[in-house]
Amino acid sequence: MTARFSYAAPTRRDELLSLLADSGAGARVLAGGTDLLGDVRSGLARPATVVDVKRVDGYADLVWSATDGLIIGPAVTINDVLSSPTVREAYPLLVACAQDLASHQIRNRATVVGNVANASPCADMSPALLCLRATVVLSSLNGSREIPVTEFFTGAKRTVVAPGELIERILIPPETANARGAYRKLKRIKGHDLGIVGVAAMSKDGALRLGISSCAATPLLVEGLSAQAPADEVVAAAHAVLSPISDVRCTKEYRTHMVGVYVRRALREVA
Amino acid sequence: MRVSVTVNGHAFERDVEEHWTLLRFLRDGLGMTGSKEGCGAGECGACTVELNGKTVNSCLALAVEVDGGTIATVEGEADHGRLSEIQAAFARNHAVQCGFCTAGMVMSVRDLLRRNPKPTVEEIKDGIEGNFCRCTGYEQIVEAVLDASGQLDASSKGALKYV
Repeated sequence: MTARFSYAAPTRRDELLSLLADSGAGARVLAGGTDLLGDVRSGLARPATVVDVKRVDGYADLVWSATDGLIIGPAVTINDVLSSPTVREAYPLLVACAQDLASHQIRNRATVVGNVANASPCADMSPALLCLRATVVLSSLNGSREIPVTEFFTGAKRTVVAPGELIERILIPPETANARGAYRKLKRIKGHDLGIVGVAAMSKDGALRLGISSCAATPLLVEGLSAQAPADEVVAAAHAVLSPISDVRCTKEYRTHMVGVYVRRALREVA
Repeated sequence: MRVSVTVNGHAFERDVEEHWTLLRFLRDGLGMTGSKEGCGAGECGACTVELNGKTVNSCLALAVEVDGGTIATVEGEADHGRLSEIQAAFARNHAVQCGFCTAGMVMSVRDLLRRNPKPTVEEIKDGIEGNFCRCTGYEQIVEAVLDASGQLDASSKGALKYV
């Protein structure tokens, strides 16, 4: 890696937000680095300043309460989520998606916030967060705004985050706690791999939601379904929202077909 | 930028460039060339080291990020030339061919056995999911891990075809 950049690891929130404001579009936030450092190496990202969020007090906190739900700080790793007994009990869908994200080494570093911030259409955490009605809190020197995950992605690798803004936390409301959840991810190999198709299914109180990855420029949400609906009807609802492309991993026809297969499998798990 | 780290129990303080990865720092800054760069993208695991008690791909961390950190590399495994249990099991079971993946593989196995001292074959496969071996086909590596965890006897040796 030869690209040059300056590096800062502020320990205070106000210092970090000032740095992001001053650096504008030239700044990139570093949390786990598993996407950013790969992009810097390949030349996809050319930051002037890399701002590390891991030394700010409280940013690695993963907090659950019955009133506020789950609060995920910007330095909370995938393995932090997996090793939390509370999350394992209350948010099985989050666990299912986290388990399928890359390898153990990557899960030790990669963060939930980073996975969403990177906005890859095949990100594993996005289908869960869509189903769980998560919101994203964006903070800057001008204050904070809360955006539902459904309005967060604007395209492949594009989000509503503006220069100077930091994703300071992800909130998962208590209403979606204790829902049944399953994630089915099609990969080329049994080991760690990017998804060809990912289907998350969540059911609670008779309602069913699907989160689908790798089948459009952004992760997709299918809602308004009944948990009692026949599988054919659910598959048809999923197919109606897809706009897959053919790429190096497979054709759009195969993706479309496999969404049907994986929706049926995920449905059996949440029935 | 100045960083202080403890590697395999020894303290080091060095100037590093902001864009240096932890892997480059270990290899070029400290002369510890056991950890390898395979893909440089977090796919192959040849650069796996332990950072503050957790395995990481050292190609995907910056040296400046780990200031104050504690690192373990494959160089810390053998004790004055005497192989660790895991290394000895790898040698006994022919789990090394070209050896390029071995340093990272050993670090992942060490971490796996600490979390799970008696892993099943499936759990071993999950544990080394982030480490590619392009020579052995993994069979001997899985046997070495079973051996290192006291689970390999003469009857199970060679019975692990197509793992």
